[in-house]
Amino acid sequence: MLTGNELERYDRQIMIRGFGQEGQEKLKRAKVFIAGAGGLGSAVATYLTAAGVGVIRIVDHDRVELSNLNRQVLHWDEDIGKGKTVSATEKLRKLNPEVEIETIEEMITEANISRLVAGFDLIVDAMDNLPTRYLLNKVAVEKNIPFFHGAVYGFEGRAITIIPGKTACLRCVYRGAIREEKFPVIGITPAVIGCIQATEVIKYLVGIGQLLTNRLLIYDGLNMKFTEFRLKRDPNCEHCGKLARGKK
Amino acid sequence: MSVTINIHPNLLQFTNDQAVVEVNGNTVGQCLDDLVKQFPQIRQGLFGKDGKLLNYVDIYVNQESSYPGELAKPVKDGDELHITLIIAGG
Repeated sequence: MLTGNELERYDRQIMIRGFGQEGQEKLKRAKVFIAGAGGLGSAVATYLTAAGVGVIRIVDHDRVELSNLNRQVLHWDEDIGKGKTVSATEKLRKLNPEVEIETIEEMITEANISRLVAGFDLIVDAMDNLPTRYLLNKVAVEKNIPFFHGAVYGFEGRAITIIPGKTACLRCVYRGAIREEKFPVIGITPAVIGCIQATEVIKYLVGIGQLLTNRLLIYDGLNMKFTEFRLKRDPNCEHCGKLARGKK
Repeated sequence: MSVTINIHPNLLQFTNDQAVVEVNGNTVGQCLDDLVKQFPQIRQGLFGKDGKLLNYVDIYVNQESSYPGELAKPVKDGDELHITLIIAGG
């Protein structure tokens, strides 16, 4: 049930056809896990908080550095040296006190990932490396939790929405590890991709629109082009192949 | 078989900034071989020393993922390839 304050706060989105109070109540009941409070995480967390998702858990083990501030807009100059989860919580609670913000200052590992995502409805990938993304993809598949992938480099970004057991997962389409490096990026790129991820999360929770499933969306900011590629499940995928074979 | 390859912006340094290259081949692998023949420097951006595609190279045929087994995927006259690079920043 929405309060009078919530009806007023979310009035403009409740007006959207197909959204309504019912959609807003679905957002309020949802628990979303965001892996990372960096560039992507800043955009995703900001817009999911503003939209009124009930519970948001953010996991990040980093501290705010000066070189983060061109893109990680939840963290400000005064936050340098603070834990990113602390800095993010302060801003998000001020943005929307109706949303429960939980934060955990831990590095995501194979040993703790299952505990970290337990009880959450969705996982958003806002990480900065592929190995952790594979861990997230794997746990999402194992626990049947929808997974929202995003990644950026320079002026380029990409996003995929994954519904385990139904659509291509990250491991169906990516070959393996890639070299970790300090990557170039301008802040608008994670803003664009993070907003696409947040849009997908909201659509999934409310149950409207068409998801970015079995599709890879590539954003090329330099040429201002969006290109879409079709993906398909790999029956031999080391993460979701068992599910694919089990369906036959 | 004439096939069009769209080159990822990060690989344009190897193709004299040519974003679209016409190649010949009956498979994705043959098309890439022809691309390397035209622009030998691009080999280092696509293949490892073992001759296998680098993990971050991502190839689409007519907008559809060609992974896994992409080098053996057949192509026909007029097909379009996109070489993209997997990115991981956040």
